[in-house]
Amino acid sequence: MTSPLIKRCFALSIVSLVALGPVVLFVGGAQASYKLTPYQTTRKNAGTPNSTFVKKNSDGVIIAYGNTSITYRAPSSALVTIGDALFQQNCASCHGAEANGVPANGTTGAFPDLVGLGPATINFWIDSGRMPATNPRSIEANRRVPRLTHDQALAVSAWVNSLSPGFPLIPYPHLKNANVADGAALFALNCASCHTIEGDGDALAMSTFSPSLRKIPSIEVAEAIRTGPANMPRFTGNLSDAQVNDIVKYVTTEIQHPNNPGGFGLGGLGPVAEGFVGLAFGVGVLALFGFWVGERDD
Amino acid sequence: MSDVLNTRRAKKQALGPYGRIGKSLGELDDRLGVARGGRTFMDKIFPDHWSFMLGEIALYSFLILMVTGVFLTLYFIPSSAIVTYHGSYAPLVGQKMTEAFESTVNLSFAVRGGLLMRQMHHWACDIFVGAIVIHMARVFFTGAFRKPRELNWIIGSTLLILAIVNGFLGYSLPDDLVSGTGIRIAYSIILSIPLVGTYLAFWVFGGNFPGTSIIPRFMILHCLIVPLIIIGLVGAHLFLLVRQKHTQFPGKGRTEKNVVGSPMFPVFMAKTTGFLFIVGGITALLGAFAQVNPIWQFGPYDAARISYAVQPDWYMGFLDGALRIWPSWSFHSWGYTIPFEVLVPAVILPGLIFNLVFVWPMLERKFTKDNEIHNLLDRPSNRPTRTAAGVTMLSFLGMLFIASSTDVLAKFFNISLNTVLLSLRYLTVIVPILAFPITYRICHELQAVKGGGRRKTPNVVTRSVEGEYTATPSPRYVDDVPSHLEATEVPTYIHEEPDESGDSGVRVVDR
Repeated sequence: MTSPLIKRCFALSIVSLVALGPVVLFVGGAQASYKLTPYQTTRKNAGTPNSTFVKKNSDGVIIAYGNTSITYRAPSSALVTIGDALFQQNCASCHGAEANGVPANGTTGAFPDLVGLGPATINFWIDSGRMPATNPRSIEANRRVPRLTHDQALAVSAWVNSLSPGFPLIPYPHLKNANVADGAALFALNCASCHTIEGDGDALAMSTFSPSLRKIPSIEVAEAIRTGPANMPRFTGNLSDAQVNDIVKYVTTEIQHPNNPGGFGLGGLGPVAEGFVGLAFGVGVLALFGFWVGERDD
Repeated sequence: MSDVLNTRRAKKQALGPYGRIGKSLGELDDRLGVARGGRTFMDKIFPDHWSFMLGEIALYSFLILMVTGVFLTLYFIPSSAIVTYHGSYAPLVGQKMTEAFESTVNLSFAVRGGLLMRQMHHWACDIFVGAIVIHMARVFFTGAFRKPRELNWIIGSTLLILAIVNGFLGYSLPDDLVSGTGIRIAYSIILSIPLVGTYLAFWVFGGNFPGTSIIPRFMILHCLIVPLIIIGLVGAHLFLLVRQKHTQFPGKGRTEKNVVGSPMFPVFMAKTTGFLFIVGGITALLGAFAQVNPIWQFGPYDAARISYAVQPDWYMGFLDGALRIWPSWSFHSWGYTIPFEVLVPAVILPGLIFNLVFVWPMLERKFTKDNEIHNLLDRPSNRPTRTAAGVTMLSFLGMLFIASSTDVLAKFFNISLNTVLLSLRYLTVIVPILAFPITYRICHELQAVKGGGRRKTPNVVTRSVEGEYTATPSPRYVDDVPSHLEATEVPTYIHEEPDESGDSGVRVVDR
């Protein structure tokens, strides 16, 4: 039989442990929620956990960071003035003169607030020709020939970024260091469920479409992965810069210039086109030959 | 005497009128008595019509399937063992994959002629099932399935099912991302069967999906069991066809009691052999110039990966379409789930369709009370109800088939996927219902056309001296209405009396 004192101490320790448990868990959880996963490159953080170098300007603002896979660079601040002018000309009618999504005589919330979105987002939408939109009310801003040049897009990004610096900066992937096979596996895992395994894009639910990746330049592929335009998820926590680089390499080489023997690709439509050719050309032509060989008087 | 025998001409004469071949055939007949059977075989009469060639497309594409398939089995490894790829296709190097997928990629890239054989095999399969379907449509719409040929209709319909099943099995074998998705769907379809679904699925897959036994099992089914059944049934199909003799379209000199057409040798033999090479040639052309199922782009199957816009091969399209457009109804109660959204479109619906196909000859006999033996074919327009029923079924299947490409339609026409899906739900019901009266009406109109089914003769336009133009219809083609059947010499190895009568190359025999 143990002594009452030990018993009491034991009971007390159990009670205190039970009482402390939630506190410990809460504090730990709070700690954990602030802890960044190793790959994170968000608007708030410059992707520094993933970067081997960070470059700041004289004011202490981060203007470049990255590693051997991707270098993220801010557009030159010298472009801010011209960017302002371009923005007022092309974007302000919807996004407002302050880029806060409130046009003159407009209401808040009708158009996206661009402040703090980061240069990669702004540059992607302009470079891909989606902005300025043909129909600002439509559910999709489709890809088309861009109205602004790449330099003008950089200027607009520079001006919007000057209002309130945001991240990610514009990614410049180093495709020499990428592994195309890893890219293929990552593409099948992360991208093919919308863009299809051959990268042709397709119709998604409710009038939204996943675009074809056949002609998209490498910077825009990287920007899209890191910023998640429109319906696309923003891949930050689960893909490292090296992995993004692998995917960009796979898309810009094997998807856009596939090593694809076996004859005409039939538009990448898969079994739909194959069935059409098999029935219309295969069976159809053979039936015509049968018509030629057989009698046809009756 | 001996010097005379040594001349070439004397030697030739000694062989008899049919030369070396005739002599050896004679020797063979002396021992095995092949002349009687051989003569029956060579003199078998084939009524000639182009639509009778459609079944031959199926037969010859099956031949191509067997030849190319044997080639593929030499290089394909039916194993789910995981290996690392170290071949020539860069985007796959270092990826983990099953041996089945690796060997398919290797046979496409590293084996001489391997990709051509694979593509020919796939195209031949698409053509095989397509030819079966149009052959079946021909048989249906002309009433060739009627008594006494109901059994052959049932054998043929079984062959269609087996062809579809074997096509699916073969499509699944490479274990690529797209076909793996197909196997996953097949697993879910088996699971959806109430009470026995789980046991059945585990029995087929040797455990839970995906497991490692499904590829070897599919291989045995695809290359051994199903083809053997198909070969046996094709044999029975052709035996019955020879035994019951061909049907023929009505025409001058053709009755229910005779068969009018060309003999097996040489006319039909020449035509059909030529057609075999045409089928082979078209398949080879497609295999060489049209890419089919580029599995290296899809990558290996992995349960975590999925591609959007995945369709099965065309002959599975009606099942996929039914699954896509069926409303998501399911039953959950008392701890049980019956997923009607899978069970109805993927199990009950095809079951109903194929059962209807099987019993159609009996159904028609029951409704028309027509118990006669029919050897003369119908023109489809003369049987409006049957034709309309057939068009209704085909349009229903056609709508389901179109529904399996909802995403492609939405993308191509730039409309919402939801709109496409919803409209196809309505159209799948409405189009067949409309198809019946429209076809029925068209058939009746066609019956009223004078000289329907005859070749049109040209109008001869003449200008008179005064400059007036007059159009006069020229007389009907002579061979359109064969007024008499003339006897023709047909080379045969057996001396016999010439046939009673026959048009050029046409003979008449009793049934």
